[in-house]
Amino acid sequence: MSSIVPIPIARQPWQMLLPLILLVCFGATVLYSAAGGHLQPYSLSHVMRFFIFLAMASVMALFNKEVVRFVAYPAYALILLLLLGVELLGFVGGGSQRWINLGFIVLQPSELMKPAIVLVLARFYSDLPSGMVPTWRSIVPAGVLIGLPVALVMLQPDLGTGLAIAFGGLVVMFLAGLPLRWFLSGAAAAAVAAPLAFFFLLHDYQRNRVFVFLDPESDPLGTGYHITQSKIAIGSGGLFGKGFGEGSQSHLNYLPEPHTDFVFATMAEEWGLLGGLFVLGVFFLVLRWGWRVALASEDRFSRLLGGGMVATVFFYAAINLSMVMGLAPVVGIPLPFMSHGGSSMMTNMICLGSLMMINRWNVRSGRRTLG
Amino acid sequence: MNALTFSTAIYSGRVQLVTIRQRSLTVARLRVLLVAASFALLATMAVLRIGYLGLTDAAHSATSFEEALLPPRGEITDRNGQPLARAFPAFALWYNPDALGGGTALVKSPKEVALELKAIFPDIDEFELTERLAKGKAGYLRRRVLPEDANRVQAIGELALELPQETDRYYPQGSMGAHVLGYVGADGHGRVGMEAVLDKQLRDPATRMHSVPLSIDVRVQGALEDELTRGMRATNAQGSAGIVLDVDTGEVLALASLPEFDPNRIDEAGARNMFNRVTNQVYELGSTFKPLTVASAIDAGTVTDLSRRYSALPFRQSGFTLKDSHDLGASLNVPEMLIHSSNVVTAHVVSDLGPARLKKTLADLHMNDRPEIELPAKGFPIWHSGEWPILRAMTVGYGHGIAVTPLHLANAYAAMVNGGIYRPATLRKLAPGDVPAGRRVFKASTSARMNQLLRMIAVYGTGRKANAPGFRVGGKTGSADKPSGGGYNHSSVVATFAAAFPMDRPRYVVIAMLDDPKGTVASSFQRTAAWNAAPVVGRLVPRIGPVLGVVPDSTRDVDLTDLAPLVPKGGGE
Repeated sequence: MSSIVPIPIARQPWQMLLPLILLVCFGATVLYSAAGGHLQPYSLSHVMRFFIFLAMASVMALFNKEVVRFVAYPAYALILLLLLGVELLGFVGGGSQRWINLGFIVLQPSELMKPAIVLVLARFYSDLPSGMVPTWRSIVPAGVLIGLPVALVMLQPDLGTGLAIAFGGLVVMFLAGLPLRWFLSGAAAAAVAAPLAFFFLLHDYQRNRVFVFLDPESDPLGTGYHITQSKIAIGSGGLFGKGFGEGSQSHLNYLPEPHTDFVFATMAEEWGLLGGLFVLGVFFLVLRWGWRVALASEDRFSRLLGGGMVATVFFYAAINLSMVMGLAPVVGIPLPFMSHGGSSMMTNMICLGSLMMINRWNVRSGRRTLG
Repeated sequence: MNALTFSTAIYSGRVQLVTIRQRSLTVARLRVLLVAASFALLATMAVLRIGYLGLTDAAHSATSFEEALLPPRGEITDRNGQPLARAFPAFALWYNPDALGGGTALVKSPKEVALELKAIFPDIDEFELTERLAKGKAGYLRRRVLPEDANRVQAIGELALELPQETDRYYPQGSMGAHVLGYVGADGHGRVGMEAVLDKQLRDPATRMHSVPLSIDVRVQGALEDELTRGMRATNAQGSAGIVLDVDTGEVLALASLPEFDPNRIDEAGARNMFNRVTNQVYELGSTFKPLTVASAIDAGTVTDLSRRYSALPFRQSGFTLKDSHDLGASLNVPEMLIHSSNVVTAHVVSDLGPARLKKTLADLHMNDRPEIELPAKGFPIWHSGEWPILRAMTVGYGHGIAVTPLHLANAYAAMVNGGIYRPATLRKLAPGDVPAGRRVFKASTSARMNQLLRMIAVYGTGRKANAPGFRVGGKTGSADKPSGGGYNHSSVVATFAAAFPMDRPRYVVIAMLDDPKGTVASSFQRTAAWNAAPVVGRLVPRIGPVLGVVPDSTRDVDLTDLAPLVPKGGGE
């Protein structure tokens, strides 16, 4: 095979890329249908963005470990500054602002922070002597590293992204081997603090979403509308779906955000249970590949970086699917590789790019190869 | 492992480091497993959930734009397309004190609003309404508001007065055919009648755009209810039941159980009347069974000579004395027996026929099971399984010791007059090709003979008051004492007239039944069917005959010339 196919192409991790490309194309067909049978405005840009970011990920995969280790702190600091800048801009401009228009791209620093927090914590824990892991030195700096961006993002206010950043960071900390009792006591503290935060920190609309999640039928036309309509869409798809372009829930605007947050419901209505299982299957293949890459890596840095990246992608998918299926409250988190949106595509491709990069490091050092 | 041990471990530093390394590796492996396991758990939950939603969640039916254009529930029409039940979008008046978003509920004072509402709905009590508005509790102010009134309420300009659209079921014919139709409960599901039977079809988006035609003809139904009500009132009867059945198809053209209820307005009084006397109540229908007994005997060949005379004198059988209500002379032949309705002679006919053959005929007529019709409420006959002793067979021969619904009787009569074919009754309009083949119970010759005999009863016997001129009615009266306690109550009867017309080519069976009629002026102070149920049929047939294509014709009739010599003209009661 290597004789025919050029080596740079042959060495790509195709067992992950092929299902992923299939998933993106499937996402594009769903978006095509959601746009009422048109390539514009969603479908075409979705595929184009994917291939642009795939090229970016392939370039990322070429970076050296030393370079990546070196840029971890500066990159984190830069993105934190950007976050602060957005906050100030928003303050000046009035109202909430989450992005910076750089001319060629509308950048959401909070999205970039998701892989950045994983990177910086992987660097931090790989530098930390293993003997110091169970001491305060392992948690306080990491806590600050996570806490600053999470606080800034939550202020925007963007609960979903804030949670995603915290989750990525926490998974890295967990994998780094911090004492289990810290996590348990942290969870206990959260259990105590959650009701307090719920009543004093959350916005009315966010509180409402939780109430509605607990009992969506209580207000099926008001705040429970999203969940109810989404469940109707998935349920009405049945086993094989209504057929391509036949989804009444999405076409007749019963479904909110049929092309972004609720794209899975749009898909499930037209493709049924089979389509849903296909999407879940691809996520399984991609994430399993990522997880194996992380496990196969030779050092602590790569392992933590890989694990954190997989967790970040997983968090996106898990929260979005739970929300769409009525298992979690409505949080504005798009479905990776399916939802229309540049920022989330970029974040997820950075995560995959990092994993491809770690995979290359593994291959180079002659360890177990994947791809 | 804590900070203290780490900082004091000077001498065993290397060993400590190795253990720490070992430990952290184990921890790391464990952590990886934990994270992977929790991911897998979440993924499994997602797969289960999507499977659950996709395969089982039938509660969430999809709402589509097409469906929004359909009526919320399919319509029901009669056989000619006259609407019997229709979807009716209506407004309600709802008081929503939170409509202004907190603070006061109303812009104007409650008293002003109450007065303005009173100007629109003069029947409301403005003081009570003022109090309700001031109290600020949400609720219906009126369940039904006409569209023009809704506009006027809107013009008051109070946001708290909301006019939600509600779907309602409207029965344009009022209480007509109530027991056939039933009604729709608050949960949107049909109750009692065809609304319950057709519930799924009427709700299904794929089928509810088509109205469902019933076999009922509103004109016949209206006439039947009218005449039954008249007969019931004239005789102070407790209730009455009636049915008009197409003998060749089994289609029910009219079915009435009185007193009726109004499906537009279900209240306690109405709920008491929902019991269907035609299909759910079993009665001992008395002498109306005698023609069935005779038909069975002719069919079996035990009655061949209609001029043969049987003793009409009382006789003892198995410890009971069988006798007629009054003296009918020393002997009667079969036509005379039917004309004068003699229990004694029927018993002799049964004695020749034998219990087994009578039982088989009645079982063939489906009297050993619930009546065959779509309605959900169907009464089970009082039917003795096992071998019938001769005494029971004799009493069954004249309609006692067996209790069936009026619908059973109608089906049996249809089979007797239509050439001998039994068909189940139906409330669905049948296309010509859908008529069931049925099964033969009587020979065609038997049926022809019975048509003559039934006609003779109406011409010469107890059915004379049903003999509407030109309509060639034939039928048999039946006045059975109602059972009460262990025996019979001799002052309370069920009076039935089971008829068919036109007898030269029977097309419809008509059953009219009065429950506990009293002797009144209208019935010449008589309680027997000849004086109350037979006149109902006599008045009903001229009303429904032309509608059903049976025109009065005095030149046509079933030929009675071979039997007429057997009966002296003008028989008695």
